[in-house]
Amino acid sequence: MKGRVLFLAVVLTLVAFVLSAHAAEVVKIPVASPFTGQLASFGEGVKNGAFLKAEEVNKAGGIDGKNVEIVLGDELCDPKEAANVATKFAADSGVSIVVGHLCSSATLAALPIYKEAKLPAISPASTNPTIGKSSPYYFRNVYMDDFQGSFLARYIKEVKGWQKVAIFYETNDYSIGLMKAFKAEALKLRVRILGEEAYTNETTDFTPQLTKFRAMKPDALFIPGYAPQATLIVSQAAKLGMKVGYFGADGLDDAMMLENPDADGLFVTTPFLADNPDASEEAKAFVKSYNEKYGKDPNWFAANTYDAVGLAVQAIKAVGADRDKVRDYLAGMNSPDKAYMGVTGATYFDENGDVIKGAFIKAIQGGKWVSAEKQL
Amino acid sequence: MFETFLDTFSLFGQQLVNGITLGSVYALIAVGYTMVYGVIQLINFAHGEVYMMGAFFSFTMVTAFGVNFWVAFPVTIVLCSILGILLDVVAYRPLRKAPRLAALITAIGMSLFLQNLALIIWGSQIKAFPRPTLPTVFFEAAVTMGDIIITWLQVFILLVATLMMAGLHTIIHHTKVGTAMRAIAQDKVTASLMGINVNRVISFTFAIGSAMGGVAGILVGIYYNAIWPTMGYIAGIKAFAAAVLGGIGSVPGAMLGGGVLGMAEVMGAGYISSAYRDGIAYAVMILVIIFKPSGLLGRSTLKKV
Repeated sequence: MKGRVLFLAVVLTLVAFVLSAHAAEVVKIPVASPFTGQLASFGEGVKNGAFLKAEEVNKAGGIDGKNVEIVLGDELCDPKEAANVATKFAADSGVSIVVGHLCSSATLAALPIYKEAKLPAISPASTNPTIGKSSPYYFRNVYMDDFQGSFLARYIKEVKGWQKVAIFYETNDYSIGLMKAFKAEALKLRVRILGEEAYTNETTDFTPQLTKFRAMKPDALFIPGYAPQATLIVSQAAKLGMKVGYFGADGLDDAMMLENPDADGLFVTTPFLADNPDASEEAKAFVKSYNEKYGKDPNWFAANTYDAVGLAVQAIKAVGADRDKVRDYLAGMNSPDKAYMGVTGATYFDENGDVIKGAFIKAIQGGKWVSAEKQL
Repeated sequence: MFETFLDTFSLFGQQLVNGITLGSVYALIAVGYTMVYGVIQLINFAHGEVYMMGAFFSFTMVTAFGVNFWVAFPVTIVLCSILGILLDVVAYRPLRKAPRLAALITAIGMSLFLQNLALIIWGSQIKAFPRPTLPTVFFEAAVTMGDIIITWLQVFILLVATLMMAGLHTIIHHTKVGTAMRAIAQDKVTASLMGINVNRVISFTFAIGSAMGGVAGILVGIYYNAIWPTMGYIAGIKAFAAAVLGGIGSVPGAMLGGGVLGMAEVMGAGYISSAYRDGIAYAVMILVIIFKPSGLLGRSTLKKV
């Protein structure tokens, strides 16, 4: 009996030793996003971008000989799930920075948890303006909705010449923030907002609101939401005989929209164009290696996550895996000469941890995303 | 002046059409709840999932197997009926004599099971019927009155709903099995003493209710162009509310309840606030229940002391 206990103890010690040795060999970088559920296809870009960057870093020797390991946290774009995932990462002492989340509502739910745990996080995709100001530990590698919204307002006025617009928004932080920014700029430009209606992400029947919009006779309908609902909205509007222009922001940038014949002509803002002829060498190389690995062009989620993981790796390389040091390092990247040169351009943070980046317009033409002829 | 009147009128007319379409669908689902409740006093929470399965069955047939829509439609009805019978035989029959709560919890379990089964088979993303698989006539306007457009699909939905309800009425009131259903609803034990095969009649009830749920699933899948594994949850809750609103256990009540709920939702979203449309629909239900606890057409049961 005693012998057996001793044997067990030896085995356990060995196992613990091997495990800890193994743990020491990798640097964990958690990536939080919706990988299942309605917005799973957004998460796919995030996952692909993260894995591609990690693979390249590891091929080049990793971080001081340690391999980077991407740990996925699936939160379905649901604020409740996001809080659970964030709590798990915050409790893991091996984690010194998180890449995520995707949806603004999810990011805002996770934010206080990371702040409490003094864990820096960098979102590749959350565009709600309040995020950066709410926590010194939150950074992001994407433009904000006040920029995106006013950009869209200028684009429809100057390029499309539209005067009357109706807004159909979803009741979440992303959509509301975008709508407000768009409205503020539209007001300045004297574009008339004929009306605004809301929907929840569980809605499938948009006909009552669309019927109202139809009676307002707008030039275009602005849908600052996500693709799964936008594709239904566009189809149902067509059934009601509405003939208007449609546009949205980066939340509609999904292949799902391309399957909808009614969505022809719809255009969106996006932070990254795979077919941009003016792209940097880094960006062109990224598009090429992404195509080799996944057999398709990267979307903006992939590009922004690729750079966010790159930023995380650079920070850990420079100051080690200490949470506060990583935060201070990122906060110190505050001018163009200290910028991280990624595939989405030069990235450096302002005092809130936000970045300044350009936007592009692309439209659906014959079932394909095509960069708009006129950019702003 | 006249033009604004015309605009207001066509806005209201279109909302009316929208409301009737939504109401017909709710009514079809609600009937399934109310029939089962009427016969065995069980709220079959898995009914919303039968509705979801109906949508997926026809979707799979027309996309993966290239079956014509008009063939897939009746086959789906048969498949959903079988699913309903299976539900009864597997989950509810063994609990016939158990406390009612046990059957209720089993119903929730079956609902979760079917939802997750669909997630495994079809994945979590929203699917849509590809346009070429559907009859093109569906998307053409049947009636155009000024700005008011009624598509053939909407006509089809209303027609199918009316026909199925009329058929159901005939079955319940003018056939032997219908008489047996009503007998069981009154007193299961006495009915079985009179030579009625209780289990078979209950299975038949499930089959009919599920068939209607499945039809609703197809119609909604086409009308809104979206099918996904958790679609049954919200629709189930709404239809359950419609059944309660109309008076649970009463078939005409379920139809009326579905209509009222659909109309309240559309008019609420159209004229009051689109962000709170579900809230408005439920508020209407709660108001009715407060003033008439047995529902619009439900019979109040007096307990003799």
